[in-house]
Amino acid sequence: MSKVKNWHLKRDVEYPYDESRPKRQWAIVFDLNKCIACQTCTLACKTTWTSGKGQEYMFWNNVETKPWGGYPLAWDMHVLEKLGRQEWNKNGEYQGKTLVEAAPANERVLHWAPTDEDWMYPNVGEDDCAGAPVDSGGHVGKLPHDKWFFYLPRTCAHCTYPACLAACPRKAIYKREEDGIVLIDQSRCKGYGECVRACPYKKSMYNPHTRTSEKCVGCYPAVEQGIQPQCVVNCIGKIRVMGFINPPWKARADNPIDYLVHEKGIALPYYPQLGLEPNIYYIPPIHADREYLRQMFGPLVDGAIERYQKLSEDPVAAGLLCLIGSTDRIMHGFKVEKGMATGFDEKGSELVSVPTTESVFVRSAYDAKVGAIRNNTP
Amino acid sequence: MRHRTVFIATAFAALGLSAILPACGKSSGEPQPLKELTVQKVSVDLSKPDPAAAFWHDVPEGVVTLLAQAMVAPRPETRTTESVIVQAVHDGTRVAFRLRWKDTEKSEAGHLGEFSDGLALEFPLRDGTVPPVMMGAKDLPVHLFHWRAQYQRDKEKGKPTMKDLYPNGSVDMYPLEFKEAPGSDPAAAEKFSPGAAEGNPQSYSKTGIDEIVAEGFSTSSVQEGHGSQAQGTWANGEWTLVIVRPLTIEGGSTLKAGTDGNVAFAIWQGGKGEVGSRKSITMHWTPVKIR
Repeated sequence: MSKVKNWHLKRDVEYPYDESRPKRQWAIVFDLNKCIACQTCTLACKTTWTSGKGQEYMFWNNVETKPWGGYPLAWDMHVLEKLGRQEWNKNGEYQGKTLVEAAPANERVLHWAPTDEDWMYPNVGEDDCAGAPVDSGGHVGKLPHDKWFFYLPRTCAHCTYPACLAACPRKAIYKREEDGIVLIDQSRCKGYGECVRACPYKKSMYNPHTRTSEKCVGCYPAVEQGIQPQCVVNCIGKIRVMGFINPPWKARADNPIDYLVHEKGIALPYYPQLGLEPNIYYIPPIHADREYLRQMFGPLVDGAIERYQKLSEDPVAAGLLCLIGSTDRIMHGFKVEKGMATGFDEKGSELVSVPTTESVFVRSAYDAKVGAIRNNTP
Repeated sequence: MRHRTVFIATAFAALGLSAILPACGKSSGEPQPLKELTVQKVSVDLSKPDPAAAFWHDVPEGVVTLLAQAMVAPRPETRTTESVIVQAVHDGTRVAFRLRWKDTEKSEAGHLGEFSDGLALEFPLRDGTVPPVMMGAKDLPVHLFHWRAQYQRDKEKGKPTMKDLYPNGSVDMYPLEFKEAPGSDPAAAEKFSPGAAEGNPQSYSKTGIDEIVAEGFSTSSVQEGHGSQAQGTWANGEWTLVIVRPLTIEGGSTLKAGTDGNVAFAIWQGGKGEVGSRKSITMHWTPVKIR
């Protein structure tokens, strides 16, 4: 067992292989305050990758309602229950055990094994409210009210220390050096299902037609051409952006992902305590229950929300948020000046420029010229 | 016992097979622990593996004790298969192994989390080498003959369709199978069936056995077969399996008449979640003497 650096946990963790960070790391940042669970990402992925036999139940990208929803059913509750209560210290260093560290002697990773039935109901719990349901007497009596839920879009996190890769006894899973995308070698996989059990986020899925396991491929054919994944470019809410994240010691303030994660500290990994250094990052929802959010995003969540709520005072950050969803290309750099936000490709060429503030026109409600009331109906 | 031998020999003679059976028949009582596996030459047809063939009654039996695989995680929590009863004969070109072991349920895999019963025979790939018994090592390769109940089901009933696996499942459409869609032929659809598109033997209908070469843990890979065959039957909580392989395999493990070899065994009980390294195995080579 090797000791590897996990910056999410501010400590070294155990992993079966040595630390080997890719040249660059695929990452997505999601703004959970903007997701409306339209599932366009889910269908963009589904129609691109999983419309074949044996893939009927697969959603490499899914959106679930928290806290009650989960695909597969209650995946996170199962995993957290297995791991048991663990602690962070005040400096944000994780003192508990990771899934690799907590593995029983005969296993590589502490796991929960979902069954067919667990995968069959991708939308159970959708839109269910927490904080006392309305039909049991809960009501909205104050603002901000204590009823809450939020939508959680999820893909594979292409972890720095993937549990699926650690668990595969055939070494059929590999992490690409060029972009950190984690793939299952479809010519080597024998469908043992070890990755399906081991991945705590449940993003390895068994295909009973091919008898192999499959997973989100990070849309690598697009990424290789400098294009963001299907789930990102099809997001109608423009809530997500894909790019490459650096570890904090190599962070670049002009890299959009580094800026949101490291510079501003508003985007956090989910369930970092599992120890895999997952590479999908979330801007936490500001109105959800804080205890729940601390469990999901760790102790940095309060500060992240506080900073997010002050973003309007920061023209650079606000400008970057305007760039998200404005280009299909992968942004390697950005700058904001004179009211314009600009994204750049790997060579530094401009991809897109957008105004950081949209012009507002105020018109009187009555149009005297034509003698009619104005409205916004097209 | 002697009477029985004579009777069976007579039966073979009557069938025109002119069997030359091993000098000693099955000993009375429980089979004894197998110290070495003596493989006598017989004059019966070994081209089709048949676990119920009458001649097996007169081939000596030996018991091989298995242990839970303990070297590498993931490991089984307990030993599921205590032992396997082994017999073997050859006909000058093929060698047949008959293996019997207790398994309370027949498991053929199919859905997520369902695994197949299985058995593997392991031989040193190269003459004169004695690789580590657990999957060999670098430059000390082993040659495995892996039978799965799942593959046998394929052979007998065809590879299960999605409708076989999920009879109540409802699928609105498979877009790649639209007749009018551009490029919508089966070959095009297969490109989007990843395991099959990559030519993974796992994704195709099988005839009963995989030939595998390994040079240590995590290295096993399925190779082009050499005409090995297998046939198993499950009844009354017991598998009876016959694996037939050529004695001589060019570039592979070879068992020559008049020489000594080695064999090792592994058994999976799919119904108890065994797959991959979760299995019962022999921790040592059993010498094989081809007579």
